[in-house]
Amino acid sequence: MTSTTSSTGGARDSGPRDGGPRDGGRRSKFGRFGARRREVLPEEPLDYKNIAYLAKFVSANGRIQSRKRTGFSGQNQRKLANAIKRARLVALMPFVGRM
Amino acid sequence: MQRTRTYECMCLLDNREVRKGWQPLKEAMLGLFQKHGAKILSGKRWDERRLAYSIKGQPRGTYLLIYFTADTQGLTALRRDLQFNESLLRYLLVDCDEVPQTAYEPEGDFDVNAIPADDAPSPAPEAAPEVEVSSTRGAGKEAADADDTTETTESTTEAGS
Repeated sequence: MTSTTSSTGGARDSGPRDGGPRDGGRRSKFGRFGARRREVLPEEPLDYKNIAYLAKFVSANGRIQSRKRTGFSGQNQRKLANAIKRARLVALMPFVGRM
Repeated sequence: MQRTRTYECMCLLDNREVRKGWQPLKEAMLGLFQKHGAKILSGKRWDERRLAYSIKGQPRGTYLLIYFTADTQGLTALRRDLQFNESLLRYLLVDCDEVPQTAYEPEGDFDVNAIPADDAPSPAPEAAPEVEVSSTRGAGKEAADADDTTETTESTTEAGS
């Protein structure tokens, strides 16, 4: 019979500085993959025709990256996802694979 | 209740039809919108490019971007007509809050004969990986299959007990 011991890293005193729990143990979504909070600039709109910009937020397999990686707010992440899906429909971006 | 809105339509046109003449095809497309009561604000070629995936065997296509205002009630009939149009490979019809200034700029010259051949051979595939790598991958797959089998057996045993 094997007993598994769960190691949660509780021995280390983690805090907001090292990306650890903050605000009652809730971990921040951002900064874990090096992504900072990102704003939408007027010269780079989240539009389905702006393929060069949208391609930055798509993985090598063609999947839309998460908010953790893109750094967008919830509203802008939805705009990003919709723009990528529209670009896919008119064959500007692939559903699967590289561009 | 009638309500007029501004829309943006990106039409992906078949290059076989584009080669027969750009202006007649463009006018035919704009006429299709006007037939359903749309008022064309702008309609010009957006780009001619290789598609991310081939549609109806066509690896390339020409995009026509149209901005128009139309009654919301007449949009269903317009969509139906667009779906039946054989020179259209795809279309995307979305709401548009504001027409960009670039839409009103004149369309550049478009030489239909300069469109690359659609049946251009695709680039040669890369050389096959080394034998050792492929054998390793095969071994890994076999191992994974074996694990799957084991799990299936275990689950069967548990279900039986």
